[in-house]
Amino acid sequence: MSVTASTHDEGSTAVVLSGVGKTFANGTEALAPLDLAIAAGSFTAIVGPSGCGKSTLLRVIACLAAPTSGRVERRAAASPQNTGFVFQDATLMPWATAAENVALPLRLAGEAGTDIEPRVAEALKRVGLSGFGSAYPRELSGGMRMRVSIARAIVTAPRLLLMDEPFAALDEFTRFKLNDDLLALWQQNRWTVVFVTHSIREAVFLSERVIVMSPRPGRIVEDLVVELPARRDSALRLGHAFADQCARVSQAVSLAMGEDVPERAAS
Amino acid sequence: MRNVGSLARAGLPVAFGLMVLAMWELAVRVNHIPAYIVPGPLAVAEALWSSAPELIEALGVTLEITIAALLLAAITGAGIAFLLAQSRLVEQTLFPYAVFLQVTPIVTIAPFVIIWIENIFVVMLILAWMAAVFPVISNTLLGLKSADPNLKELFRLYGASRRQTLLRLLAPSALPYFLGGLRISGGLALIGTVVAEMVAGTSGTGSGLASRLLEASYRLELARALACFVLLSAAGFLLYLTLDALSQRLLRHWHESARSAEP
Ligand SMILES: Nc1ncnc2c1ncn2[C@@H]1O[C@H](COP(=O)(O)OP(=O)(O)O)[C@@H](O)[C@H]1O
Ligand SMILES: [Mg+2]
Repeated sequence: MSVTASTHDEGSTAVVLSGVGKTFANGTEALAPLDLAIAAGSFTAIVGPSGCGKSTLLRVIACLAAPTSGRVERRAAASPQNTGFVFQDATLMPWATAAENVALPLRLAGEAGTDIEPRVAEALKRVGLSGFGSAYPRELSGGMRMRVSIARAIVTAPRLLLMDEPFAALDEFTRFKLNDDLLALWQQNRWTVVFVTHSIREAVFLSERVIVMSPRPGRIVEDLVVELPARRDSALRLGHAFADQCARVSQAVSLAMGEDVPERAAS
Repeated sequence: MRNVGSLARAGLPVAFGLMVLAMWELAVRVNHIPAYIVPGPLAVAEALWSSAPELIEALGVTLEITIAALLLAAITGAGIAFLLAQSRLVEQTLFPYAVFLQVTPIVTIAPFVIIWIENIFVVMLILAWMAAVFPVISNTLLGLKSADPNLKELFRLYGASRRQTLLRLLAPSALPYFLGGLRISGGLALIGTVVAEMVAGTSGTGSGLASRLLEASYRLELARALACFVLLSAAGFLLYLTLDALSQRLLRHWHESARSAEP
């Protein structure tokens, strides 16, 4: 509701939304005017009930949808050209090989063919798909397709990575593995990531900051800093600290939904 | 199990066909039906055999027009679909005329075309094209409109030009639909050519197989007429198989319609 403080006090800001609201042509108010600042290099998760405007918010940040009120400010570091977007479905071109799918952003930018190949190979390697470049999407599993989708988003070396429930359609084993790998990649590259999810555990595990949205029209009702060590690995999921943080976010979500919240048991 | 299944798939229709032919031959012989009323299959086969070179040449003429019309329908149909896809307004304005083209029996247009255009080859081409183009237009239009909206957003995000979006997204998305339309158009182009030949009244050397069929039937050479019919049907069937194979080949890596049975 108010301008939220960045968790990276020292860092610069990648995206600033001021009074951004979105009402669709049919009168649906998806976003109530909201303010949000996202620090460069941070990992932010957005959680909220289905239909609350999370995708709309992400599309506004990506400049794929124009807000009906307010202003979206994207600092130089995050201009539209170096934004990566990952959808809930892998959204691959079924007629193209994995490598051609990953190459798409480079081809659309009109880059020379010779420069493209090594960059595509590198992106595929980073998502653990070396050797699968010539496979067609239908020959790949759901998790592998999502990896291709991520490779395509990072092949341009984006500064801003927007992910809209990217792992929601995957089974839990695959999701955990992809969570681990995404986190490792982020720790190496420090893109600014905005990650929409409906899984509280996923939000807590991945991010430094969790933003909770209210049912439609979407407002920011809670903005939490995840109190977990910066370096995380899969062992973290087993600990008390992780469970505590999940409970905290869970409580905030329940409040946002207007439910009665039981007192949280002391840990 | 699988081999028995595939054997049955190929064998059963053939066995059925042979049985029907045998019964036909038998009925003609037992009842002493004269060949100018109903010739038996053996008489048809003989007519086919004895005038094979001549009939195959005539088939060549018919197929030439059919294939030319089909190619023309493929190109113009895809082009028209692309134009219609440009805006909702253009589509609403022009699509009814495409439907008009489809529902009008071409036999009723033929006399005008014959009067207005002198070259008989062009006349037949136009009539066959008119019969064949609609499925390409409507299917391709549907294909252009069913491109994945998320992929469209992605193309926008990366600042794709109209040309890039057309070539890299819309055209491949529409390809399976286009090919489906083309398979239907193949048969229609043949029908259109046959109708055109019959209406245009071409005859003698250099005329197509449908003209020969008509000629033979006027002379009550029914075995010969049926031989023409058999060749035309076979050509139509072959055309379909060819277009189907083309479709399978172009789509084999990615489209569900071309998914081969698991090995
Ligand atoms: N193009 C659109 N036109 C009208 N309403 C829309 C459109 N896109 C989304 N909405 C509506 O806006 C609301 C928010 O949608 P969305 O951002 O997709 O929610 P979420 O991603 O949180 O599930 C929903 O009620 C949805 O029905
Ligand atoms: Mg959504």
